[in-house]
Amino acid sequence: MNADSADTRSPHLDLEDLIAEVTGQPIGGRAREHLASCAHCQLEANRWNLVADGVRGLAADAPEAPQHARPRDTRRRALPRPVRHGLLAVGSAAAALVLLVVIGSAAGVVDVHFGGGGGGTQTTLTAVTGCAQLEQANGTLERVNGNSVVIKAASGQLVTVTTTAATKISASGALLSDITDGTLVSVAGTSSDGMIAADLILVGDKTSLTIPGITTVYGTVSDASTAGFTVVTSTGTRVPVTATGGTDVVVTRASLAMLTPGGSTMVVGHAGPSGTLSALGVVQPPDWPTGAHAGMHVGSCSRASIDHGILALAGG
Amino acid sequence: MNDPHRDVGATTFTTSRDPADDDAELLRRIGQGDEDAMAEFYREHGRVVLTQVLLVTGERVLAEEIVQDTMLAVWRGAGSFRGESSVRSWVISIARRQTRDRLRGRRLRVVDGAFLADQPGSGPGPEVMALDRAELAEVRVAIRELAPAHREVLGLAFGSGLSLPEVAGVLEIPVGTVKSRLAAARTALNRILNEKGQNR
Repeated sequence: MNADSADTRSPHLDLEDLIAEVTGQPIGGRAREHLASCAHCQLEANRWNLVADGVRGLAADAPEAPQHARPRDTRRRALPRPVRHGLLAVGSAAAALVLLVVIGSAAGVVDVHFGGGGGGTQTTLTAVTGCAQLEQANGTLERVNGNSVVIKAASGQLVTVTTTAATKISASGALLSDITDGTLVSVAGTSSDGMIAADLILVGDKTSLTIPGITTVYGTVSDASTAGFTVVTSTGTRVPVTATGGTDVVVTRASLAMLTPGGSTMVVGHAGPSGTLSALGVVQPPDWPTGAHAGMHVGSCSRASIDHGILALAGG
Repeated sequence: MNDPHRDVGATTFTTSRDPADDDAELLRRIGQGDEDAMAEFYREHGRVVLTQVLLVTGERVLAEEIVQDTMLAVWRGAGSFRGESSVRSWVISIARRQTRDRLRGRRLRVVDGAFLADQPGSGPGPEVMALDRAELAEVRVAIRELAPAHREVLGLAFGSGLSLPEVAGVLEIPVGTVKSRLAAARTALNRILNEKGQNR
């Protein structure tokens, strides 16, 4: 009390008390007694209450939680149940993506955003930041025709993508059977009792990023079985890894045949005639929710920089 | 490994424990890479953060991106939370920095200091009268027309569940300045309502 914003000697309620009253926070006994008997303060409280109601009304208008579809491939790890039910759009998507986005964004080459899925105004090809000649297309894989693939953009437009032997192709999903003794892997997961429960296994490439709460290890697979394997690091350390059908496996040197029809697909390359795209990279990352789009950034147009970006898109 | 079948029932987090303890525990689990805890954190704070950012930016897609960046920062930095503020004000502070960074290049319309220092008169002037006769729907429209700094302080004071000292912490200004800004925001709101009333 006694600290009106306009007159510090005012006998009326302090603004802090008025705000507390309006927001349901406790106020002192004297302040409450004063409010009960002071028409001026009651009017002020009513005014602030109207302002507060206005703000709360805007909050009520804030985006509700559109339910994101389950991942289209049931072989892939389902979104955590708490995430699937009744979360904000950004929440559900980001929780599923968090590991991959942390990896990609930590590398400074991936910017994931949501919204606009299915809208007719989306541009089919988008520029890749950092290299003006490079284009990117996001969509779902329609079909594979020999060395070409056709993806369907969010706008509904079909984009024909040509590949060569130099095109980097990344597939993901329940590909544990592709992990055999001698395979080079990076494993990211939760460490416990000297073992790693794998959330993500990157086959063929190395990620050396430090991610809070996530243990990563890189090495050669030994003792591969359906339940897991042992990673032998360059120093000879043997790290047991457990994996389940829900573990995301990303194969960074895949073939077109390993891509999943209907799967979210991102292509990076050079625009060709009639809207075609000559691909430097074709990527199907794991657990990519409906409506998610990833924009790639590269430091330069060098192949190394582009390959780095493609690897980040793939989840590495 | 995350068990997708383990449901985190709402009642789990509505026991008699202090919510601040629950938040701190959530952050501890997030720091250990617990995805369920991250999902719970979204449930607990995501909507408030989104509402606040949306209030400031006025752009849904941008606001969602900022919230996403904020939550990634939480995922990365949960271990850095020192408990010197509430988790709610901590995450809103992160969102505010993210918003500021995103808007930095946009020449955001800024309310100058003289205007912010403007205090409402002690008597019921014509602007106050405008607020007295305004309908809620009109107030909501008028709030959207306020300057970002005013929308921000109103959102923090009335939409985020923070106390005024916590609002001051988020804005990194003294409590007295928060009060001045709130008063100036209401003056501006009255002014908008008054103009709209005159145009009817």
